[in-house]
Amino acid sequence: MAPFELVAPATPDEAIAELGALGASDAVPLAGGTDLLFDLDDGRLAPRRVVSLRRLPWQTLDWNGPILTVGSTLPLRRLETDPEVRTRLPGLYTAVRAVGSVALRHQATLGGNLGRSAPASDLVPMLLALDAEIDLVGPQGARTVPVDQFVIGSRRTALRPAELIRSVRFPEPRPSAYLWQRVRPFRDISQMAVAVAYSPARARWRVAVAGFPPRPLLVPEVEDALGPVLPPARSDLDRGAHVLSTRAPIVGDKRASEAYRRQIVRPLLERAVRRASGEKAGS
Amino acid sequence: MSATARPDGAVKLAGAAVYGEDLDVPGMLWGALVLAPVAHGRRLSVDLSPARALPGVVAIGAADVAGLVDGGTGDPERPPFPSERVSYLQQPVAAVAAPTRSLAREAARAVRISVEPLPVATDLDDLFPEWPREKIEDPARVAAHVHARRGDVDGAFRDSATVVAETYRTASVHQVALEPHACVAEVTDGGWRVRTSTQSPFGAREDTASILGIPEAALVVEGTWVGGGFGGKGAAFLEPYALLLARAAGRPVRLALSYAEEFRLGRTTLPAVVRMETAVNAGEITARRVRLLLDVGTSLPGRDFATGYAIGFLLGPYRAPAFEVEGYAVRTNKPPFGPHRAPFAPQAAFVVESHLAAVARAAGIDPATFKARHLWREGDRTPFGQRVLPFGLASAFESARALAARWRSEAPPGQGVGIGLGFWSTSTGAGGEARVVLSPTELVILQGEREIGSGSVVVGLAQVAARRSGLPVEQVRVEYRDSAGAPFDAGVFGSRTVGALGRAVDAALVSLLARLGERLGSPGPVTLAVLDGEIVAVHGSGRRRVAELLTPAETAAGGLAADGKHYGRSGEIDESVVLDGAFYAFTDFTGAAHVAQVEVDPQTGSVRVLRYAAFHDAGVVVDLPSARAQVEGGVAMGLGAALTEEAIWSDDGRLENAGLVDYRIPTLREVPPIEVHFLEGFPGAGPFGAKGLGEPPIIPVPATIAAAVRDAAGAHVRELPLAPERVARELKFR
Amino acid sequence: MSGGRLRLSVNGRPTELADVPPEERLLDTVRWRLGLKGTKEGCRTGECGACTVLRDGHAVLSCLLLARDADGAAITTIEGVRSDPVGERVRAAFESAGALQCGYCTPGFVMALTGLLREAGRSTPLDELLEDLGGNLCRCTGYSTIVRAARAAREGLP
Repeated sequence: MAPFELVAPATPDEAIAELGALGASDAVPLAGGTDLLFDLDDGRLAPRRVVSLRRLPWQTLDWNGPILTVGSTLPLRRLETDPEVRTRLPGLYTAVRAVGSVALRHQATLGGNLGRSAPASDLVPMLLALDAEIDLVGPQGARTVPVDQFVIGSRRTALRPAELIRSVRFPEPRPSAYLWQRVRPFRDISQMAVAVAYSPARARWRVAVAGFPPRPLLVPEVEDALGPVLPPARSDLDRGAHVLSTRAPIVGDKRASEAYRRQIVRPLLERAVRRASGEKAGS
Repeated sequence: MSATARPDGAVKLAGAAVYGEDLDVPGMLWGALVLAPVAHGRRLSVDLSPARALPGVVAIGAADVAGLVDGGTGDPERPPFPSERVSYLQQPVAAVAAPTRSLAREAARAVRISVEPLPVATDLDDLFPEWPREKIEDPARVAAHVHARRGDVDGAFRDSATVVAETYRTASVHQVALEPHACVAEVTDGGWRVRTSTQSPFGAREDTASILGIPEAALVVEGTWVGGGFGGKGAAFLEPYALLLARAAGRPVRLALSYAEEFRLGRTTLPAVVRMETAVNAGEITARRVRLLLDVGTSLPGRDFATGYAIGFLLGPYRAPAFEVEGYAVRTNKPPFGPHRAPFAPQAAFVVESHLAAVARAAGIDPATFKARHLWREGDRTPFGQRVLPFGLASAFESARALAARWRSEAPPGQGVGIGLGFWSTSTGAGGEARVVLSPTELVILQGEREIGSGSVVVGLAQVAARRSGLPVEQVRVEYRDSAGAPFDAGVFGSRTVGALGRAVDAALVSLLARLGERLGSPGPVTLAVLDGEIVAVHGSGRRRVAELLTPAETAAGGLAADGKHYGRSGEIDESVVLDGAFYAFTDFTGAAHVAQVEVDPQTGSVRVLRYAAFHDAGVVVDLPSARAQVEGGVAMGLGAALTEEAIWSDDGRLENAGLVDYRIPTLREVPPIEVHFLEGFPGAGPFGAKGLGEPPIIPVPATIAAAVRDAAGAHVRELPLAPERVARELKFR
Repeated sequence: MSGGRLRLSVNGRPTELADVPPEERLLDTVRWRLGLKGTKEGCRTGECGACTVLRDGHAVLSCLLLARDADGAAITTIEGVRSDPVGERVRAAFESAGALQCGYCTPGFVMALTGLLREAGRSTPLDELLEDLGGNLCRCTGYSTIVRAARAAREGLP
């Protein structure tokens, strides 16, 4: 590991200034560190300065009516232990608990997970299905980006130089579910994952798939096929599963073949939609 | 203390047990290995000067070894560093030591290595796509060849009504002890000394001395607490490098592997391809043919033990009037094959159990009936001519069948129940010695093995002593001595600790009790008891305080000492069947039948184990809580080999999953409740009739899971592990 | 934190360390600077849980924490677990159930379970508690005795 200086500014402005004073590869933000430290260790990143965000006032969780706002440096464990998250955003609860271990989630943060945008993230697909919005703050001020425009590739985000994720907003409670297929059911990287959520406001299902390169993605054709109601009609669920299995841009890699992924994505979608619908759909 | 508490519990729970990884000696340097950048290459050239230019860094390579051991000549087939050829990726080619860990890493990276790459061999199927139709003719590829035959095999295959031929593939699995290999070495005028996390201080001493070319007497090995061994900490590994670095530096050197190195350099069970053929007439096996390709990695000439040994397990505990076995140990560009808790035996049991079930079905016979009919019984001869000693496998199988029938009647559709069998032969041939010392207040066992976790040392040996002497086990203390101070013992492996070293402890006690008897004037049996906190010797109705029986010299020396030893005999192979190579003689027979209930996801192929039961012939159980824990742990490890664990090499010889995310050992959530049952009435060669229990629990597990998966979903999977995608391809109930 | 000074409370004792490099892991600080070797180094990549300690009462992976990013925190290691009533209960449950073999994962398990039971006491259903304990790997026991210890430690908590 190349030597770096570690700073821990107390305010967002100071943090942005610390980052902005150096180039993007010379200064990196540190949240929980559970992913960043690997890159520092093996030299994939060799910054001169690491800016710890731990003193920023962003370890927050606020319900404002239907809207949940999660501060970017809130440890994931605090997100999963919020009783309202569990009942109002059940898919998010499940996806958070799919990340690492409890100890890891006491360190890891939602902002870190998004900012690092690992291709195997269990959170990004769920955030896609929940239409999460990312509040950013940087040298040019604040802006908000929908999550599907934020994660643009494997380890690639829409973050601009010295910009930080301040919070993540979930617009409404949604019946939702997150399901995965793994060789080892717990604490493994998913061969395939499906996140579904039903938006009452938009009368529409949202479906994201993940587990294959290059990044988690929404599948609007499947959402169209599922129709506007909760639970969807049996025939619509069949059609959605068929569309997902045959038309989604699924590829194979060392974790699973394309054929196997196309086979298992059907039951994963059906089960996820049933779970989100309270097990009622298509039964 | 509760009945289940262990004597090493308090020290480990206080965080006070010092493992190899924890060793910290004032003034020590941190070592690091310099690892080969290619899996196969020649014209190796290592330039250490950039590392040596760093402050305080010591660096050594092949050219330095002879000077460091004062002209000693180590085993020419096992030089610490290669001088010309690289044969696996990350093979150590040099070593460095530095004042800090990070500087040691930097120094290792600074070493300039040049090597001309050669084609890399990793995959058995790629190397021999036409085997066994075409013979293997490449002598450079074959590290060992074994071949044996009894009876008219060709005739039996020709004349039998049913012939089944199948090919199986098994994966490489790792030990995954949580503590990586670690040691601290020091070389002074007094000699060479290494403190290390080892399953075999004496084995490590012999091995290290041989590699370095120094006399064994010049080297002292001191064992630390061991954070899991499972076979991976049996022989010398880091010790020679650490000693050479310490010699070069003139300071103590700590050398430990990172966890990725633990995977990439580790010596373990490698992949195999097995061809199984069986002929059946009128419900009886008439002949079997077993052919094996076993990947042995960078095998070392003359040191291959695995192939003949694996073949024995592939014949299984079954009678066959005629058989032919042939195996090749195949060299590839991987680290050397090494022991892993019952090396290849779980894989072999999976193959033979799955195959014989398929044979039975092809012959129209219930597999369990078919297997029971052919199972070894006491008094039978094994294929290689050993007499089967008391052996509870048939009884275990009966119990398992009864339980499986009940579980199956309770299982809903989508679930299935399977039985798997396995056998083991306690390694009684390797010998050992112990000393016992009786003071007025305690009985101490002095010996040279460190506890590796199973309890065989701190619990097992103490229980043997307690049982022989009559003392409560709390009055017995097991004390460790380094290789300079302890009597010799072969090591904690092969389920032999209680069975063989326990016999030495027992012999020492018998001698001690006899001498007490003489002092009491009683030729009859003497036992020990505790009275008012003091140990008394009891004979008939008389009793004397031990304090009164000791001479002043003995009292001054800490008590009355007695020595015992046990050097068992290895079994003998019936050489009339051997055509080529060496086979392994089984001696003390132990067996187990396991039952699993699983649920198979009909769409994804995922297998969930719902409940598990293990029936073991462990001879006379010396300590029930430890025995039970040993089975529970072995079953869990076997579940990994059955379902999720698989080391994967890329075509260029790189171990792709060298970490705990992608090399998937079971977590707490994958291990179901496990019932453990011990069968009585089949005494073994150990003290009081004990048999070893280190390896047996892991052996039947993959076979058991495969049988249950077939029962649940009709999937006859011929490849380990039974990962979801593999199972999904074979699903029959869709 | 200029000058590399790091202030921690370790097992209740205020501890000030100078010249801690920014890249140093808390694991190494605890083991090699403070000599508290009960916290084990296993994988060093956050997968095995052997290095688990409590930071301000919550279980964390000390191998994935920069020591200086824990500035000001209260750290509890296995050596200090007995001074926490929940910790002592967990420790005793492991001892009495014989919930250890080689012992290398044991300190991490004790710290992880202590953290979980401190968070929620008995309010977490047993199933969920065991799922939450799944972050720690053990290769010896098959977890059976550890589950027994966890169940016993949970009993009798408020």
